[in-house]
Amino acid sequence: MNDFLFVFFLLSILAWYLSFLATRLNRLHHRVETSWANLDGLLQRRAAVAIEIARSEISDPAASLLLTFAAHQARDANMRDRSQAESGLTGALGILLENSASAQSPMELELIHELEDLTAKIKVAIAMHVESVTRTQMVRKKVMIRLFRLAGSAPLPVTYEFEGDVI
Amino acid sequence: MPLSKKRIGIVCPYGWDTPGGVKSHVNDLAEYLIAQGHMVSVLAPSASDENLPSFVTSAGRPISIAYNGAVARLLFGPVAFSRVKSWISEGNFDVLHLHEPAIPSISLLACWAAEGPMVGTFHAASSRKKIAFAITPFIEPVIEKLNARIAVSEAARETLRIHLDTDAMVVPNGIYADRFADATSDPRWSGNTIGFIGRFEEYRKGLSVLIEALPQIVNQIPDVRVLIAGPGEPETFLEKLEPHLRNRFTFLGTISESEKANFMASVGIYVAPNTGGESFGIILAEALAAGASVLASDIPAFDSLLGGGEYGTLFQSENPKDLAVKAISLLQDPVRRSAVAKKGHDYAQSFDWDVVAERIYDVYEMAMVGGSGVTLSSDNRAWIRLLGRNNE
Repeated sequence: MNDFLFVFFLLSILAWYLSFLATRLNRLHHRVETSWANLDGLLQRRAAVAIEIARSEISDPAASLLLTFAAHQARDANMRDRSQAESGLTGALGILLENSASAQSPMELELIHELEDLTAKIKVAIAMHVESVTRTQMVRKKVMIRLFRLAGSAPLPVTYEFEGDVI
Repeated sequence: MPLSKKRIGIVCPYGWDTPGGVKSHVNDLAEYLIAQGHMVSVLAPSASDENLPSFVTSAGRPISIAYNGAVARLLFGPVAFSRVKSWISEGNFDVLHLHEPAIPSISLLACWAAEGPMVGTFHAASSRKKIAFAITPFIEPVIEKLNARIAVSEAARETLRIHLDTDAMVVPNGIYADRFADATSDPRWSGNTIGFIGRFEEYRKGLSVLIEALPQIVNQIPDVRVLIAGPGEPETFLEKLEPHLRNRFTFLGTISESEKANFMASVGIYVAPNTGGESFGIILAEALAAGASVLASDIPAFDSLLGGGEYGTLFQSENPKDLAVKAISLLQDPVRRSAVAKKGHDYAQSFDWDVVAERIYDVYEMAMVGGSGVTLSSDNRAWIRLLGRNNE
C-alpha cells in the first residue's frame, strides 16, 4: 500500500513538473511570436517613413533613389534576407541623416523626429526579440522537454541576426 | 508623452521607511509617471501605513536580514505573498514594473504570481559567482517571465549576464536635473572645501580613505576644510584624529534635498571615495547636475558614470596617496576644475527624468504589445479555466 502511495506521489510530482515546464515553454513561444510581430510592425513603419523621406525635400534625387530602393528591398525581403535588407536601409538612412542639416520645414523635422523615435523603439524591440528567441532555444534543449515532446509541433525559433550597432 | 493613460504597478523590494537608492528611484519614477497622467500604484514593504504617499500600498512589515553583504529590509512569506496577489488582482494593471526581482523579496513574489506584461529593473552589481550557481535554477524560470529587462548600469548588466545568463537594456537611474541646476553657492561651504555626503560610518563609503589622505592635502593646501553631510555619530571618527586635523572637519548631519543641491554647488570638490558596493552612483550624477567638480574612486560604477574621467576626476580606489595628489591638483587649478565641471553639468542632463522616464516608458510600451493586462497566473491554470467555462 505504501509503495503504491509513493509511486502515486512521484507521478503527481512529475505531472506537476511537466505542466509547469509546458506552461513555461508555451509562454516563451507566445513571447517569440508577439515580440516578432512587434518588431516586424516597427520595421515596416520605418520603411514607410523612409519612403516618405525619400519623397520629401530632405533628400537629393540620388539619395531618394537609394532610399526608395533600400526601403522596398526591406519590405519585400523574405525571412532569411530580412536582417541584411534592414541593415541596408539603416545604412541608407544613416548617410541621409548625417547630411540632414538641410531639414527646415516643420514637416521634414517631424519626419526626422518620427524616425528617431522609431529607431529607439526598434532597438528595444530587437533586444526583446533576441532575448525571447535565445531563451526559448535554451529551454527547448532541456532533456525533459525533448523527452516528453513538450514543444509539440511548434517550430524552433530562429535567431534574427541583427548587428546591434547597425540599427 | 502618452497617447493613452495606462495603469502601472511598480514593486519596490526594500522597506519604504529606510532611505535607499532603489526606493528613491521608485518614488521619483512613480511621481513622474503620475504627473504624466498615468495611474500608478507602488507596492512596498513598510512598517506602518501612516506617512506613506498616496500611491504606495504597504505589503507588510519588512524583515531586517543580511543579504549580499549588507543588512537589507526585505519581505516574503505566505502573508506577504497573498497581499501581493490581491494587489495584483485588484490593481488591474496594464504593466508591472518589478525592481530587483532576483532578490528574495516581494518583487520576486509578484513575478511568480503574475502573468502578462512585466518589466524588471536590476540595480545591484556584484560578482559572487558561487551563490549564483546555487540560486539560478530557482530564479531562472521566474525571471524568464519578464518581457524586458533593464539594468541601471553596465556593471549591473554584466552581473545579470554572468549570474542569470540574460541580457538587459541599460537605462540609467534618473535625477531631477533642474532641481540641482537651480542650486546656489553658499558662502558657508565654498572655498577650499572638500564635500562628502553619505552614511560615513559604513566602511564602503570610504571616509577613512579621505581621512588618511588629509595630512598630505593639508601640507599643500593649508586652509582646506572637509564638510561631511549624512547620518551617523561623528565622535567615534574624530577621536582617532589628531587635534590639528580634527578642527578641519565639519559634520552637518542629515541635510534636506535643497540643502544637498546647494551643498554640492558650493564645495570646492565633491569627493566620493567609495570602496565598492555601488552599482550606479546616482549621487555623482546629482553632483554633476549641481555643477560640482567631482573626485571619485575608480570603482566600475563611478568610472563608467564619469566617462572614464571625462566628466570628473578619478583616483585609484582605496589609495589615499592618489586621492591626495588628485585633490591637491584640483584645488590648485580652479580653471580646469570649472571646465570639467561645466562638461559634467551638460552631461548630467542625460540623467534627467524627462529623458530617463521616457526611455522606461518606451520599454513599457514594447512590453505591453500583444498583452491584455496583468493577471494572476493562478487564474490561468488549465483546470481553473476549464471549470470557469463549465460554469458559464
